Parts: sequence; structure tokens; C-alpha cells
Amino acid sequence: MLATLVDTKALLQSVVASLVAGIGITTAFAILIFGISRSAEMARNERTALATAAGALATLAFLVVAGSIVLGIVVMTTK
Amino acid sequence: MSSDVVLVIVVATALVFDFTNGFHDTANVVATSISTHAMPPRIAVGYAAALNFVGAFISLAVAATVAKDVVDSSVITTTVVFAGLVGAIVWNLATWYFGLPSSSSHALIGGVVGAAFAASGSAAVESAGLLGKVLIPAVLAPIVAFVVGAIAINLAYGIVGRERPGVVNRGFRLGQVLSGGMLALAHGTNDAQKTMGVITLALVANGSLSSDADVPFWVVVSAASAIALGTYFGGWRIIRTMGTRIIKMDAAQGFSAQGAGAAVILASSHYGFPLSTTQVISGGVMGAGAGKQVSAVRWGVAGNIVVAWLLTLPAAAAMGALTYGFCDLFGNDAAGPIMVCLFGLAALAVFLSRRLREEPLPTGG
Repeated sequence: MLATLVDTKALLQSVVASLVAGIGITTAFAILIFGISRSAEMARNERTALATAAGALATLAFLVVAGSIVLGIVVMTTK
Repeated sequence: MSSDVVLVIVVATALVFDFTNGFHDTANVVATSISTHAMPPRIAVGYAAALNFVGAFISLAVAATVAKDVVDSSVITTTVVFAGLVGAIVWNLATWYFGLPSSSSHALIGGVVGAAFAASGSAAVESAGLLGKVLIPAVLAPIVAFVVGAIAINLAYGIVGRERPGVVNRGFRLGQVLSGGMLALAHGTNDAQKTMGVITLALVANGSLSSDADVPFWVVVSAASAIALGTYFGGWRIIRTMGTRIIKMDAAQGFSAQGAGAAVILASSHYGFPLSTTQVISGGVMGAGAGKQVSAVRWGVAGNIVVAWLLTLPAAAAMGALTYGFCDLFGNDAAGPIMVCLFGLAALAVFLSRRLREEPLPTGG
């Protein structure tokens, strides 16, 4: 019955994509803040290797966030 | 001559609806940012208004699909469109008055469905399309946003829980500026296009535009301007409900609700299920609150919002049907829409004069 009224496959994909994107963007942004905070703290304590690792984690998270913003604008322009 | 007068009235009414749409939905974009002090109120609404304006120019792909698959397109006349718009405007203003965030898109669809039903009976309503394209996504949207908001806030607290609160709050507030910007762009793209679609539909129905013509540039500019102006005026009653009355939120919760909301809206849009921004953000706010502490959510306020969602389609449909029935009393000429506009202006004058007697003119809605 439901399948005749609505494209259930697209609806399911939409729900999964919403969950992944919604949870993913918040998680990535939290990791970005964590990386920046830890990197600054480690640098203050002169623990260079850990500061660099935290900085790299922050950079990776930043790229995910920036990529998500670009993807969002692409979705807006191509729908 | 008479049909041209009706066309002018329909275009003006569509722009009024667009204004109320921006006014009503400002809260979706700015409420969490204002509540967490990510942005001062006037800056927040100015920022949202500017991005709503820009968003209206991003894509015109869905401008002609208003109420498509929901009502039989052969029954749509300028009077049906006018009555549908009046139904949506009345519901938007009623929910604004009570500070309830409800979907402007559902109000517009409800208004047009009600007017089409009054014009041509139940055969004019495509119930399968209404269920599949509107009702099922409307039920799913807030549930998905609630779940996303609840999971996202717990993950965020888990990741940054041991960091210094000052750094965390500054970080999430900055994030809210970005996520609010994305929401404002998406809102401008989705909702201004509905007004462009309505005006284009009326121009085609009146014979002023061929059915395969592009959306005229003046229609794009006027719709973008009306939604941006409405956003700038800000529906402060709904902003208060969304920002402080459902939960008292911190910056991480604000970002979870808003960032997760933007992601849910765009991901769903990509798969062909454009969701109500209002329902997604409200669901996200409730989820971000419940994810931290279930008792932190004021469930009475949340319940009122859900009741408003349930009533939106039937109430706007009833108003649309009543308006069409009233216009139909005057036949096909412009007298009916003119009378409705005069009633509307009189009601607005009474409302404003009462407000002026009770309190000085507010700076916003």
C-alpha cells in the first residue's frame, strides 16, 4: 500500500542520508573544536608531536565541514 | 480588464504571502543563534534576510511545481490561486500570533487544495500525491530531525566534554553562523521559488505568459525581495518560542539543531523529498534538548507545536475553501477578490490600532 503511494526506496535513502549527514556534520565540527583546543593546549605544554597530531585532526575535520558546505550548495543549485 | 485586475490582486497577494513566509520562518534560521548569543538579534535577521535574497537566485528548478501532483492542474484558475494564498496567509498570521512555528509550505498547499476542492469537488484533489508527497514526509521530517539532533548532541558532548567551555562555546557559536547561513540560503531557494511558481502560474492562467516560458526576471526579483523583507522584519513571537520556550539551549545544542537541520533538509532535498524547514528545525531543537536531558524539553510547548502542524493543512484548506466560496458568490469577475482584500485590510487596521492602544509600536513582529 505504502509503496504505491511513495517511492519507498528514495524515502529510505533520504532518511539514511539525513541521519549520516546530520550526525556527521555535528561530529565533524565537534572534532574540529576538539582538535583546535587540544593543539593549542599541547603547543603551550611544548608537546610538539601531540600538538601536530591534534592540528592534523582539526585540519581533516575542517576539510569535512568545508566539503559539506560546498556539497550543500551544489545540492541547492542542481536539484 | 476584469481578469487583469484579478491577476494584479493575485500577484500582490502572492507577494504578501511571500512576506509572511519570510516573517514566519525567520525563526528557523535565527532563533537558535540569537538564543545562544552567536549573533545579536538585528544582525542575525539582517544576515538571514540577505542570504534569503541571494538564495532566491540560486535555482529556479522547482518554481513551477507548486501543488503539482497534489491538485488537478486543469482546475487551477487565478481565483483558486488567490483563495489558496489567502488561506495560507491567514494560517501563517494566526500561528505567528500564538508564537507557533508551523510550515508555510504546508499552509500554501493546504490553501490551494481547499480552494480546488471548493471549485471542483473531491476529484480535483489528488489524494495519493497529497499523501505521498506531503503527509508522509511531514510525519517523517520531525522524527528524523529529532533522532539526528539527539544523537548528534550526545556525540558532540562526548567529543568536546573535557575541553574548556569558553573555547567550545566560541567554536559552536561560529559554527552556528555557518549553519544559519546554509539554512537561510536553502530557505530562500525553496520558499521564494514557491511564490515565483504561484505568480508564474497566475500569469500563464491569465494568458499573459506561455506555459513553456521561463520565470520572468521581475518575478524573481520581487519574490526574493518580499521574502527577504519579511525575514528582516522577523516574527519575534516564533523566535522566542523556538529559541527559548522549547528548551534553554547552549551553543552546542544550537549547532546540533541547526547544523543537523540544514544537513537533513539538503540530504532529503537531494533525494526528492523537500521537507518543511520549520518541522525539521523544531524537531532538531527538541531532539538536542531531549538528547541532553528528556525533562529539559518543555513538552507542553512541544505538544502545542505538534498540534499546530496537524492543523496546518486542514485549517489552511478550510480558509482557502471559504475564500473561494465567497469569491464565487460574485461570479468570475474581480469583485470577490477585491472584497476579500478590503476585509483583509480592515482586519489589519483593527489589529494595528488595538496594538497601538495597548503598547508603543514594536520594532519587529
